[in-house]
Amino acid sequence: MTGVGPGPDPRPQLSPGSGAPQVAGWVCTDCGHALALPAPWCPICRGKLADALWGPAGEVWSSTVLRVPLPGRTPPMVLVYVDLDNGPRVLGHVENASVERLHAGARVALTGASPDGDLLFDTE
Amino acid sequence: MDAFIRGVGTSLFGKQPELTASELIWTAVAEALSDADLDQPDAVYVGTCFGEPGIAQRALHRMGITGLPITVMENACASSTHAFHEASLAVDSGRYSNVLVVGVEHLTSRFSGAIPVDPRDFEGRAGLGLPALYAMSAARYQDRYGVTPEELAAISVKNHAHGMYNPRAQHRSPVTVEQVLDSRMISDPLTLLQCCAIADGAGAAVIGNTRHSSRDIKVRGSAMKTGGLWNQKTENVWGHDLIESTAKNAYEAAGVGISDIDVIELHDAFTIGEIVTTEALGMAKLGEGASLATSGHTTVGGAQPVNPSGGLLSRGHPLGATGTAQVAELVWQLRGEAGKRQVSGARMGLLETMGGGAGGIDGNACVVSVLEGN
Repeated sequence: MTGVGPGPDPRPQLSPGSGAPQVAGWVCTDCGHALALPAPWCPICRGKLADALWGPAGEVWSSTVLRVPLPGRTPPMVLVYVDLDNGPRVLGHVENASVERLHAGARVALTGASPDGDLLFDTE
Repeated sequence: MDAFIRGVGTSLFGKQPELTASELIWTAVAEALSDADLDQPDAVYVGTCFGEPGIAQRALHRMGITGLPITVMENACASSTHAFHEASLAVDSGRYSNVLVVGVEHLTSRFSGAIPVDPRDFEGRAGLGLPALYAMSAARYQDRYGVTPEELAAISVKNHAHGMYNPRAQHRSPVTVEQVLDSRMISDPLTLLQCCAIADGAGAAVIGNTRHSSRDIKVRGSAMKTGGLWNQKTENVWGHDLIESTAKNAYEAAGVGISDIDVIELHDAFTIGEIVTTEALGMAKLGEGASLATSGHTTVGGAQPVNPSGGLLSRGHPLGATGTAQVAELVWQLRGEAGKRQVSGARMGLLETMGGGAGGIDGNACVVSVLEGN
């Protein structure tokens, strides 16, 4: 099985456009539901999806510091669920000096993506 | 429903790298068939999560269990609970007279540490391991409801105390709140002794459509479903709403409510899991489940003991084997055969298992079943 990987990147992707980092996502043209990941139709109402940009600002839903290794990962990793303003909930990483979890309700901003494709956030 | 658990069996649980999955299955199935006084089932339903293709057939043909339908089901941690649920429905509907349920997992040959979420999943590729998935819930409970580290630790203390009296459990030593909180931080705020361990094991049960003896345990009602969407519109932590909804269906099917339940085996893969689950089952209001352990309500000797077996935290959690081990514990409890961990007078038991790992939904599957003794 040498050389067989896990396939295409399933994570949310940044918009390639210039300016503040944003997630290139979708919005339902019928019910307005916000998505960060592709789908064949709106999973709530089956309406048509249109391209939409989300972020960079958002609010922490929850956060943890994973302190044990996972395959291909070096601990510690500060993980955070962020509800992007009016947008989807996404999972990202926090890269700053303090290795502490953030708290629910804290304001954060998307700062970009790591070289291997994780969304990065920092406190505003 | 017309479904009766005629016999149960399990292997020892724990790190057993010297044993094959087949050997674990032989131990569990031999005990269950003997307990049920049955030579051959009509069909076999198997639950396993990481088991390789053919894992059940590889074991069962050497017991002479061949030439019958063998069906393998995967639903993460709920895999063999799902198999149990489907077996109960299959005998109730008249499809089979006796179904053998098998749960198995050989984790030491697959993982050395924390189990990652699959990298084909968007959260798995982003570095979410299963401890972090539950830690997100624990952190949210700290921030929103003020759950303390000591309250989280109390779940581990209780379940390890129960596990002392379970000779099949992986961890059989008591722990203190201080030991739990001083153990290595795995994913804030969950420390090592708040996380179930990698284990190998197998369990089995025979489900029949008629009562054969007074030791048979009736499956009074059962429900299973996959979670709804879990996204920015979801207020509750992962799994809560799915467990609540599945439990509601199971209570309706069984014609009972949570106040009728005497003993509970539920999915405490991590301490926060037991708190969230007891709330979702209706035992406490949202955000108040932590008090059930600290007050003694869920301790053996309390009003509604939870995880008298020691739960996943003490027994160990070979994913696909866990559901059948939970079923076995409830059968022993409802028969009055649970020894030093016996819940006095237990007549009605509740089984709950939760499986997860697919990002974006509230759980891959949840099973809740109500079992009744004589």
